[in-house]
Amino acid sequence: MEITNSNEAAAKRLRKKEWKLFGTGMLYLLPAIVFMAVFLFYPIVKTLYFSFFDVTGGGVTERFVGLKNYAKLLSSQEFLQSMKATFLFVLYVVPGEIIISLFLAVIASEKLKGMGFFRTIFSSTLGVSVAAGATVFLFMFHPSLGAINNVLGMVGIGPIEWLTSSNAALISIAITTIWMHIGINFIILLGGLQNIPEEMYESAKIDGAGYYSRLFKITIPLLSPVLFFVLIIAVIGSFQTFGQIDLLTGGGPNNSTNLIVYSIYQQAFSFGHFGFASAQAIVLFVIILIVTILQFRYGERKVHYQ
Amino acid sequence: MKKFSFLFIALASILAFTLAGCSNDNPSSVSGAKGDSGKDKTNIELWHSLSGDNGKNFEKIVDEFNKQSDDVHVKAVYQGGYTDTITKIRAVGDKEVPALLQASGTNRKYLAESDFVKPMQDFIDDEKFDTSGIEENVLNRYTIDDKLYSMPFSSSNAIMLYNKDMFKEVGLDPESAPATYEDIEVASKKIKDKTGNVGFSFATIGWYFEELLANQGELYLDQDNGFSGKPTKTLVNEEGGQKIFKWLDKMNKVGTFKNYGSNYEDPRAPFLAGQLAMYLDSSANVRTMVDQAPFEVGTAPLPVPKGVEPNGATVGGNSMYITNKLSDEEQQAAWEFIKYTVSPKVQAEWAAATGYFPVTKDANGESALTEAYDKYPQMKTAVEVNSNTPATPEMSGPLSDEGEQFRTIIEAAQEQVYEGTDPKKALDDAAKKIDELLE
Amino acid sequence: MKKKIIIYILLIVSAFLLFAPILYAISASFMSPKDIYAGKLFPSEFNFDAYREVMDSIPLLHFLWVSFVMSFMAMVGQLVLSSLSAYAFVFIPFKGRNLIFFLFLSTMLIPWEATIIPNFLTILHLNWLNTYQGLTFPFFALPFGIFLLRQHFMTLPKELWESAQVDGCSRLRFFFKFALPLSKSSLSALAVYGFLTTWNKYLWPLLVTNDDSVRPVQIGLKMLIAQEGSSQWNMVMAAVVMILLPTLLLLFIGIKYIREGLTAGAVKG
Repeated sequence: MEITNSNEAAAKRLRKKEWKLFGTGMLYLLPAIVFMAVFLFYPIVKTLYFSFFDVTGGGVTERFVGLKNYAKLLSSQEFLQSMKATFLFVLYVVPGEIIISLFLAVIASEKLKGMGFFRTIFSSTLGVSVAAGATVFLFMFHPSLGAINNVLGMVGIGPIEWLTSSNAALISIAITTIWMHIGINFIILLGGLQNIPEEMYESAKIDGAGYYSRLFKITIPLLSPVLFFVLIIAVIGSFQTFGQIDLLTGGGPNNSTNLIVYSIYQQAFSFGHFGFASAQAIVLFVIILIVTILQFRYGERKVHYQ
Repeated sequence: MKKFSFLFIALASILAFTLAGCSNDNPSSVSGAKGDSGKDKTNIELWHSLSGDNGKNFEKIVDEFNKQSDDVHVKAVYQGGYTDTITKIRAVGDKEVPALLQASGTNRKYLAESDFVKPMQDFIDDEKFDTSGIEENVLNRYTIDDKLYSMPFSSSNAIMLYNKDMFKEVGLDPESAPATYEDIEVASKKIKDKTGNVGFSFATIGWYFEELLANQGELYLDQDNGFSGKPTKTLVNEEGGQKIFKWLDKMNKVGTFKNYGSNYEDPRAPFLAGQLAMYLDSSANVRTMVDQAPFEVGTAPLPVPKGVEPNGATVGGNSMYITNKLSDEEQQAAWEFIKYTVSPKVQAEWAAATGYFPVTKDANGESALTEAYDKYPQMKTAVEVNSNTPATPEMSGPLSDEGEQFRTIIEAAQEQVYEGTDPKKALDDAAKKIDELLE
Repeated sequence: MKKKIIIYILLIVSAFLLFAPILYAISASFMSPKDIYAGKLFPSEFNFDAYREVMDSIPLLHFLWVSFVMSFMAMVGQLVLSSLSAYAFVFIPFKGRNLIFFLFLSTMLIPWEATIIPNFLTILHLNWLNTYQGLTFPFFALPFGIFLLRQHFMTLPKELWESAQVDGCSRLRFFFKFALPLSKSSLSALAVYGFLTTWNKYLWPLLVTNDDSVRPVQIGLKMLIAQEGSSQWNMVMAAVVMILLPTLLLLFIGIKYIREGLTAGAVKG
């Protein structure tokens, strides 16, 4: 009897302590929760709400339409094309930027004189805004003034219709995007490389492993947690590409670069279809969510944690 | 370490407590803002989309107005492109609108139907303001159900620019530009054969299609382009539209036409570089092109298919709206400014500085403008085309709040044709999409 | 030796290719319009007109100042919010913290463009148009930053906290005395990252400001590009260069910290 009593008291104390801990924890989280609630959770809930309505400017819901926006979306050829373009784009950009950044990080991780300079250059695109970067590429891709075609012309290639042919335009946007993302990916990957303990290599050297076998047997596996992080960020980032499309192609030619985020923007702001745009936003959110969960489920298995 | 945490706490508390009080302007007073000059003046705000040189020239006009007015101070604020401005207006709805709003003609239906615009007609009727001095076809574009909703300010139309030197070089008459689709084909062929250059182009912007269609005197939508009732069907894939698409397809296939992109900019560079002989452009840009070209530039009206009489051009550019959410005093102040902007003197100045043509007839007699025309005779083409354009629904452009999207659809259809799709199929598909939007 | 030379060659070629767009922008900014239309790669003579014209056309210095204040504010807000939350997730073992953490992380998946309308309406109703809080508050809660700092805090030895508790050190004191000072590299990384990303915002500032006095420099760039008229590319490139300079400088100075910090975060991931 007494034992249960003291057990109960202990449990009570424990619960009280837990509540207190919870309270303290929430106190620290409070500022972030407030800001997230107002500027992230509330908008996504509101967007979900809008997606069931016809919405006019100023966020005035005109009438409830149920799933009409979603039905329209799934039957719309443009949207399906836009999905296809988006996935294609992610497929171009993600491997592209990771391979290039990894290559740069590997050559920049050597201990050589003047490496600081190269590392700075390789990180530089982090400091380039989308507006500025895309403007420079717009000029470089220019059909008649652009540097790229001029240089290619000198070696007898081209001219390539970078932004005016629907086959090339998506690739041009992808090139621009890869370039802009290299800086941040490089920094993260280089850091990861430098954290690999020196001894791992030394023991491998003693075993007589060559450069490439060291790269693929030691470096890449040990780097996999970082690579995974970079992968997640890259996928999310490329799904959400907007600025470079707005500046370079405006979604054209023939909708070939009309990725989902751009289409959301266009539907909402240029055409005033807020409800329809909201439905697209929700679909995009769900797609990114699924892709990210899949990556965690199947990708993380291959990640080698120390 | 102590210093570090102190700094941290200090910053945190600054953020948490003082920011709420640090809002500099009370935003509810978009209109009654504390003006930079003149305490007794009524201060109003004007949202516009003019950037680059045009932006600078526009500021100048506003400054001059403020200087000469004793009661009104207008503050012009750039809001991004026309779409950005409308974006903002759509989002603000009826809550935070400025007294004056400048917008492009594509949005005229949306704005007229919105509940925050006061029809210009009300001010005109109240004061018995005489609008007979304003170009009739320009007024017609902004008039819905016999009510003028906004006052035209900048007007432009599409015209053809050509390289006279290149014409001479290949033995074409530089003084008579080709006037029909067929003539353009022939001339382009000659240019391509002799110089390897591209004959003709225009930026893939839906506006040009509207202009080419209007020049044939054809409607874009039924119900008189939407002016006599809610449109139910588009007419873009009737004969007129098909002729345009077939023509483009034919020239594109033989390489005498080239698509340079979907910005106004895009065909200008190859034209200036002497790689392109003829292209369509907004008349607002003629002066700049004449200045920049290292050769003699010629201008001509838009072409028509053989056997069709040219009707003229639809008015592009922008107009200004007065909103109804502010006090009467502020609305009156806005009206004062509007009247100023359509005065012959201001219109002449604006037209001379930019290349838009004046919306006020008398402006053509002002010395500022006649001097500019003497120096740049190429600018006169647009004015002549405009004064010969009848004030009919055909020439007023499609009236619909989906106008932006129509353009996007037509642009995509054009791009399909440039990449090999059958022109009839591309245009029919586009028409179907437009019809769906009209439902 | 041979390996060294190959690596140097690779480094030089990559650096050149990667930096070429920026070099080209600099080169074009010194060209005359004639050079531009001739499609030249280098100016035939150095011409500063473009820079002069940019300075005449827009209040560039003022825009830069606004950008600076805005970016600095967002940076401070992000540091405060991220470090407090990350600290709670790592050092306060309350129930449900993992759930809340993943809820926080999931917000990274929200496409920002999709939240613009509701957020704009919020700012509007709070009467925060044309204010710095309107410009920056939506960016204060940065899931990426919370994630980054959490990963870093997790690398701090647990014993440190245990011994501090024995000494009777309160949570708040531990936060300031140990957690923050030991995470300087991650905090600096986050600071630079936050500063740069805010600096680069364009669409949001355009929406929430109606007044040049509270507008950042990215809008200035847009003001130079004419809509129906012709853009003067040399001027646009000059503006691009002037906008890039501050951020590139900051990046070059802060690169060491940012690398250390981001590394610490990502490795544990």
